Amino acid sequence: MADSDVQGMNEVPDELKDTVTLTTLEKMIEAMGDLLSPVVSPIANAARSNSVWPLTFGTSCCAIEMMSVGMSKFDISRFGSEVFRATPRQADMIITAGTITRKMAPALITLYEQMPEPKYVIAMGACTVTGGMFNDSYSVVQGVDRVIPVDIYLPGCPPRPEGILDALLKLQQKIRTESYAERKKKKYRQNAVRQVDYDTGRPLEDLIDEARFETALALDPLKSLQEKA
Amino acid sequence: MSETPAAKPPEEPKGPGLCGQFLKDHGIATNRLPDSCGVETIEIDGAHLEAAMKLLRGSSEIKLDYLVAVSGVDSADTFDSVYQLWSYTNNNELIIKVRVKKTDVVEGQLPLVPSLSRFWSAANWHERETYDLVGIRYYGHPYLRRILNVWDWDGHPLRRDYKQLVDSLNDKAPGSFR
Repeated sequence: MADSDVQGMNEVPDELKDTVTLTTLEKMIEAMGDLLSPVVSPIANAARSNSVWPLTFGTSCCAIEMMSVGMSKFDISRFGSEVFRATPRQADMIITAGTITRKMAPALITLYEQMPEPKYVIAMGACTVTGGMFNDSYSVVQGVDRVIPVDIYLPGCPPRPEGILDALLKLQQKIRTESYAERKKKKYRQNAVRQVDYDTGRPLEDLIDEARFETALALDPLKSLQEKA
Repeated sequence: MSETPAAKPPEEPKGPGLCGQFLKDHGIATNRLPDSCGVETIEIDGAHLEAAMKLLRGSSEIKLDYLVAVSGVDSADTFDSVYQLWSYTNNNELIIKVRVKKTDVVEGQLPLVPSLSRFWSAANWHERETYDLVGIRYYGHPYLRRILNVWDWDGHPLRRDYKQLVDSLNDKAPGSFR
């Protein structure tokens, strides 16, 4: 799995080989990507950075500031980002505006995975940067970067609308300086997203580890306990 | 620096209050507790709770016909189920507590309190919330499931002895401020 991700899009995972066909055109574009990148990237990046469409996603008070920045007083449309999309499939960027609870985390991951590449995340507000005032709370994910990869951290409780604009400008800078071919090569591996179990609200990795450990314990108690110690 | 005066212990109530007297007249024994924020507070046995509630709600003189909240408290040696009642017509308030001693709770089981939700539907979700967070089992409730946390959450978060599992959503990175 890891190898196919590193080598790029040409590798189709085994389980998808029946349903996915790569045309020669796609292979050609892939091959030309590196060659054309110096020419195409600046143009494409300028276009992309000036049309970062955010997803309408707000879970608490930060969303009020996000709405404010969309209105005429602060006017995020000056930076080409006014089109708040109601579906992740049309969005380029997600502003996680508000506290992410354990119950919300699976839904956020689903939204993130439904967004098409290239996708960006702005962690807005103290809650999504570190857990904020819900530090050590039993129900709050202590920083949204524990479940999805974050591009820009925007602290504040909640941040001023100017802060959101600043974060957007930083994100645009980031988009302008990146090469799309490079980004495609080290496309996020699927497990860059940390899956959270819908039922228990616990990360799937931990559950799998636990299950593995329990299996090993059942098979060979002495050895697995020694390994754990 | 001026020292803040130590909080005075709450005064012991003199005798039964308005609602306590009313219940006493109708043959339900109550125990008056110190007033909470000037509101009459009574303790009642769980077995009499439903009868008392029906009396308080139905009578024309008391008419506590609005159930503001059902909540739970994990006290030092009891689990309290707290009911806050309000009367619009008399502009009156009452707080009722049902206390279950921790020593009476069977090991590995939850404290039992009768449910009000069969005749007072406002209690339905409040009792579910109290069950979810404090872990009081309301028997007779039609659908006693967790309402805030996910359905198979471990433990009850507002309990004194609640310890949360450490996983990758809340662990502390070495060197972090948290």
